Amino acid sequence: MEYLKTSQDMPLEEKLQVLTDAAKYDVACTSSGVDRRGNGRSIGSCVAAGICHSFSGDGRCISLLKILLTNECIYDCKYCRNRHSNDIPRATFTPEEICTLTMEFYRRNYIEGLFLSSGIIRNPTFTMELICRTIWLLRNKYRFNGYVHVKAIPGAAPEVIEQTGFLADRMSVNLELPTAEGLRTLAPNKHRKSILTPMRQIQNGIQANRNDLVLYRNAPKFVAGGQSTQMIIGATPENDFQIINVAEGLYQKFGLKRVFYSAFVNVTGDKCLPALPGGPPLLREHRLYQADWLLRFYGFRAEELLDERRPFFNIMLDPKEDWAVRHLEQFPVEINRAPMEKLLRVPGVGVKSARRIVAARRSGSLTFQDLKKIGVVLKRALYFITCSGKMMYPVKLEEDYIVRNLTSEKDRVQFGSDGMGYRQMSLFDDVNFTRPVTVIEQQQAAVGQL
Amino acid sequence: MIVYRCEDSVESIYTAVYQAYEERRNHEDTILCLTDDPVLFGEDVAVKADSEKTRRVMNTLVRRFGMENSRHLAMALASEDEEKAQAVYRTIVEGLRVKCRPGHLFDNLANYQIHKAFALGRGVSTEVGHQLQFLRFQELDNGVLYSKIGPKNDVLAFLMPHFADRLPIEHFIIYDEKRNLFGIHPAGRQWYLFRGEEADRPLQFKYSEDELQYQELFRQFCHTITIEERKNRKLQQNMLPLRFREYMVEFQ
Repeated sequence: MEYLKTSQDMPLEEKLQVLTDAAKYDVACTSSGVDRRGNGRSIGSCVAAGICHSFSGDGRCISLLKILLTNECIYDCKYCRNRHSNDIPRATFTPEEICTLTMEFYRRNYIEGLFLSSGIIRNPTFTMELICRTIWLLRNKYRFNGYVHVKAIPGAAPEVIEQTGFLADRMSVNLELPTAEGLRTLAPNKHRKSILTPMRQIQNGIQANRNDLVLYRNAPKFVAGGQSTQMIIGATPENDFQIINVAEGLYQKFGLKRVFYSAFVNVTGDKCLPALPGGPPLLREHRLYQADWLLRFYGFRAEELLDERRPFFNIMLDPKEDWAVRHLEQFPVEINRAPMEKLLRVPGVGVKSARRIVAARRSGSLTFQDLKKIGVVLKRALYFITCSGKMMYPVKLEEDYIVRNLTSEKDRVQFGSDGMGYRQMSLFDDVNFTRPVTVIEQQQAAVGQL
Repeated sequence: MIVYRCEDSVESIYTAVYQAYEERRNHEDTILCLTDDPVLFGEDVAVKADSEKTRRVMNTLVRRFGMENSRHLAMALASEDEEKAQAVYRTIVEGLRVKCRPGHLFDNLANYQIHKAFALGRGVSTEVGHQLQFLRFQELDNGVLYSKIGPKNDVLAFLMPHFADRLPIEHFIIYDEKRNLFGIHPAGRQWYLFRGEEADRPLQFKYSEDELQYQELFRQFCHTITIEERKNRKLQQNMLPLRFREYMVEFQ
């Protein structure tokens, strides 16, 4: 008990430092999905799009006060900084401290709400109860009306999870690793089943709550912002195809709002973990997010993007370009006619620009100039589209040619900064005007005829 | 050619639009101008802002184009561009002419003026978004929350509703130092804007007891949450441009 006592005596600054440091590898820092006006009597409101209040030195957004309730964890997951065999400073917040910090930061517009996670203290149910009590205090005593994201602890009693769900805007259960096998080797205290159970419970809760809300408009909302999860990428040998298949399954079967991918950072130096001399696999994480967007907003399916024979994403091309160059039979797409679904599959055309194209072509046919105004990225799109039957430049619809142009700086069709136009020549350009010396010329030179 | 000389305010510009219709001008041959530059063969008409005419124009805009589009027009008028009045005027004329449905005012982006008004509105809307993100309040000695901003466009009027909704029980002041404009929200009451004189520029403040402590805590939080292995200053700068940082506590 004396140990707990010393941690209580720690000054607030130190505690915040320890527990922020412990929480920083959690990725899901979003404040989106809930639109809730202020109620006029207490502090707080939520904006559907979410608001990021700052950006840290690694470029990730700071939207919520992301902290752990405690890092005195009894589990020993090999990838986790807070595993109990790791020798790091430990601390525990009291619920009051968390509430005051949240309120004071929120008033000053530093944060959009609270993200509360926790190491496992004593047992999962006890931890979940502590989290629930903290959120209850924040909502009822401090009358906080802003965004709250909490972690559901796998293995906690369903009653506590349900109770927390009525207080929080978003809940998440971390899948941690994409496959059950990976979980077994690296996180001996966690099981695939105990992770999926609360996930299913929250999904059912949201569904039931939606039905209640139809009947009773003022029924309390259960996890209004939906649930999310995260996976660690690169700690275990799964391939990209497996990962996006898992993600697709989660979106379809568990109705998740988001799946987050977190490039693995080796913080514990455990012998079971891969050493990453080149730093965390950030490009791989980036490609997975790009694919994730294609799944959610562009009508792609996982097996269209990858298959068993090519289980990894292309390093040079993004997944959409990659798909397009392998399906050239579907191109070029005529901008003035093609349906929305076809437009969405063109590299360089996003959801917004596709919508604008469909709206703008009602009042007249569009040219490449107009597409630029609309926001289409022409340097990617030009190989795949026609406007009124014409392509922008005479380009070949051929896989090698397009890949070369999309990837290499030198061979690319020359652009100005605005995506189209011509370049001013200068005397110092090496445009390769010289031609190679022919055999005949060599002979002429040798006998002195030149 | 008729040239309506307006001031740089929503009232003045909407009054000019009203007058152009009232006086049955040929819209192809009419210009709304914010500056005093002479126009060749132009016949100048001075515009006197009229709140009744403004109200009627606004009502028409909302009725014909919907709330979202008329808000976008209002945002375009908050920008610093000199051609904004003309772009907004021509967009309104075009929208009324083709009898577009509500929410479809900006469909025809191939039109130069419509695209211009759209781009101006989008620019202001982005800046409003940035200010909602990066504005920081500091608690003063008397419990009032005070914030200083220096936006490129005149966005204060779009910020106030958000914060009034979010912090209804707080007294707060947002001060636009570029325009010497105050947005004032007394707790539990309606907010208002106040244009200050040169003498009103706030200079020194006394912070409340805890203020510096919380600033330090947040600074430390931002520092700790950075993952060293993923350090990416370029990305940070893309997301959070340098011009906002002088107003933010975590970068001081």
